[in-house]
Amino acid sequence: MFNIIKSTPQSLGPRLGRLCLPGRKAIETPHYLGVTSRGVVPHITQDTFRRDAGINGVYVPLEDFIERAPQKIPPIYEFSPPDGSSPLRRFIALPEETVLVLGARRTPPVLAPAANPNTNTSISVCTAVGFRTLKAEDYAKAAEHLQPDIVVGLGDIPYGRALGSKRIEKATDRQIQWMQDHVALRNSNGKTKGRSKLFAPLSLVSCANQRFYMDCLTEQLGELVSGLAFYNLAPLEDLPAALHSLSRLAFTEPSTPHDILQQISMGIDVFTIPFISAATDAGIALDFTLPAPQITPPDHEHVAPRTLGIDMWLAAHAIDLSPLTKGCKCYACTKHHRAYIQHLLLAKEMLGWILLQIHNHHVLDLFFAGIRQSIALDVFDSERRRFEEVYNAHLPEKTGQGPRVRGYQFKSEGPGEAKKNKAAFTMLDDGKEKIAEARQEDVEVVVDGKGGEGGGSPAA
Amino acid sequence: MVLRPPASALKFDLVTKCATTKARAATLHLPHGPVQLPMFMPVATQASLKGLTPKQLEDTSCRLCLNNTYHLGLKPGQQTLDAIGGAHKLQSWPHNILTDSGGFQMVSLLKLAQVTEEGVRFLSPHDGTPMLLTPEHSISLQNSIGSDIIMQLDDVIATTSPDHARIKEAMHRSIRWLDRCIAAHRNPSTQNLFCIIQGGLDLDLRAECTQQMVARDTPGIAIGGLSGGEAKDLYCKVVHTCTSLLPDLKPRYVMGVGYPEDILVSVALGADMFDCVWPTRTARFGNAITGTGTFNLRHAAYANDFRPVEEGCNCTCCRPESEGGLGITRAYIHHVAAKETAGAHLLSMHNVHHLLDLMRGAREAIVEQRYPAFLVDYFHGMYAGDKERYPGWAVDALRGVGVDLLAD
Repeated sequence: MFNIIKSTPQSLGPRLGRLCLPGRKAIETPHYLGVTSRGVVPHITQDTFRRDAGINGVYVPLEDFIERAPQKIPPIYEFSPPDGSSPLRRFIALPEETVLVLGARRTPPVLAPAANPNTNTSISVCTAVGFRTLKAEDYAKAAEHLQPDIVVGLGDIPYGRALGSKRIEKATDRQIQWMQDHVALRNSNGKTKGRSKLFAPLSLVSCANQRFYMDCLTEQLGELVSGLAFYNLAPLEDLPAALHSLSRLAFTEPSTPHDILQQISMGIDVFTIPFISAATDAGIALDFTLPAPQITPPDHEHVAPRTLGIDMWLAAHAIDLSPLTKGCKCYACTKHHRAYIQHLLLAKEMLGWILLQIHNHHVLDLFFAGIRQSIALDVFDSERRRFEEVYNAHLPEKTGQGPRVRGYQFKSEGPGEAKKNKAAFTMLDDGKEKIAEARQEDVEVVVDGKGGEGGGSPAA
Repeated sequence: MVLRPPASALKFDLVTKCATTKARAATLHLPHGPVQLPMFMPVATQASLKGLTPKQLEDTSCRLCLNNTYHLGLKPGQQTLDAIGGAHKLQSWPHNILTDSGGFQMVSLLKLAQVTEEGVRFLSPHDGTPMLLTPEHSISLQNSIGSDIIMQLDDVIATTSPDHARIKEAMHRSIRWLDRCIAAHRNPSTQNLFCIIQGGLDLDLRAECTQQMVARDTPGIAIGGLSGGEAKDLYCKVVHTCTSLLPDLKPRYVMGVGYPEDILVSVALGADMFDCVWPTRTARFGNAITGTGTFNLRHAAYANDFRPVEEGCNCTCCRPESEGGLGITRAYIHHVAAKETAGAHLLSMHNVHHLLDLMRGAREAIVEQRYPAFLVDYFHGMYAGDKERYPGWAVDALRGVGVDLLAD
């Protein structure tokens, strides 16, 4: 399933691989998975996904589909396509060739309230109707029914909380139990054809600190585990050699391309990258490549670092008919231009974020292709260094407003919170006065472009 | 009246007239390609059809969509439109665009607008700045937009207004403004200016306005001021009155009409073109338009409904995967509606396709001289054969043009 094409002699380092799943297009690694929300990469409908996005694989969290479980059976559990294909794939209309990875929680997840932690048999998940518990047993059953290509075993990941040694021990015990149970369930089902590959989640500590779980993976489960899922980099540092051949999937929430490069240098194969959608929502067109462009400063003057993205809210783009990035082959850049995207953002038209989302994923496609090329040519380390010299360390600040914020994007802090989404228009109470004033002054004011100045705030 | 040689950038080919009703099938050749009449035009208010890429809009078979002058005048603004080279270039839409004049927004958005002979004074809803929209400025904006069909600025007041004097004034003012629009129009050889018949629900005023405007010989004619909450039977009488006085060889556009049955009855009354935001707006609320009614897929009943949005529908969203579609189910729309915008986009695709397909069917029926039967079938399907539920206004209006929906 996962072949390592090239790896460095030292135990940890950048490596090339190929993830081949039956019936799917092979994914050359390092690469990334599109992160979905309720079955879609945000903003991108399924037909645009097929036609205009180059995403090879997606990550789908189960918590998006199980609103009222277990009181009410989630609809998707009752869906069985007539041809016996994956209910999840059919339900979200994912193309046949795209790799489908299922996990329990979104990335990044909304942190569970303190009073609602994981237990020995369940974890907390955030559904559209609030936090619910998901039993390890139910998760395993759901995963087997939904038939993704890859299922990430349920992890006892205490998101956002520090780990004491007791808690680590507990997490290790749970992890062992849950993985063993999941494997036992698969064995009892009997069928092996078309079955998803099981990835083992690793706890947030070094392998030495979760030794019994490592022993379980290497000795007991061995062949039954096809890959490892990382929620931070700690376990990579002393990963047992016996597990080196497994593919490594990261839920590490990199916040910049620099983070991605660093994690690749430690041997991550497949990423989930929340900052792509975050940049899109912020109205930022990503703009970075590897290898980084050659800059020859005149007379060795200091050159300011390049930005990692272009803020499309800026008025400077208002009449700019050029693509988001020069020479870009994505749908947004070949069919549209900066002026339109700037207009769409200002007008709060949803198409603006669609076009940015297509572009931003394309930039990542090329970035990963560049990374693979550099590893193949043994220049990854030097290219990484040059990338860090050429580019800013952070994505540009968000200046405009994003699309409506949804419940799964923030943690509620209790009663009395301010509204997350501002009303688009408010009544103009003093309207009549203003009209009267305008008549008195009799200034010649006509309908004209206020666009370039950014949205003014309506009079209260 | 302005003495100018009438100029036109369109060719109207009348294909068939229905032998029973006043329905017509025609081909309208516009600067960005031909379109088939009767037709429905979806509304891309701010140069984007709510969440659909131009490619997706093309997929629904749309070849003429609307933009709003009022909105484009605010954003991106005339200077920007001039610099970019018009709305086609702005939104990369290779097909036709129709723009309204901004007049309708006076009744729909701006309660505080003041109309004088000079124009409409109103406050920008974005920042409260006072603004003045004159016929000249409206045409100048539409010239900058470069739309294939442009509309005159008219004095729109709600048809339900009790102030008859005001309605009469508005009708006469609209005629005077038409003359100013014709005089101000810079591109008559590339953009078609349509007049807009006003006159509220008063059939005499409508008739007078129609005669006056027909005399101005614009390339096409619109019936305006309707679809503002008036009784449907009165609406039908206005359309019927106007179309009876209109020349055969010009396109007739009834503004702001979008419910399928309103459109089909209006077609029988001799109208050719329709527009409405309803299919896309209602999609954002989770409503699917089908041949058997409009359904809100957010309702819990659809959570486990694994059928396509509309069975037998040929749109990208409903078509099964084996036929190159997506095979989206009602349950999936239920799952994403109001939670991810993609749900609204999928339903918008379906709804727009549904209306365009309905018009295709209507046109075929007219060409094959079976439009009366088409109407009978449509209402039968919509109300599951329960004639008690047929809307009385539709029955009456169609009876007036020789179709008895209630006949056995």
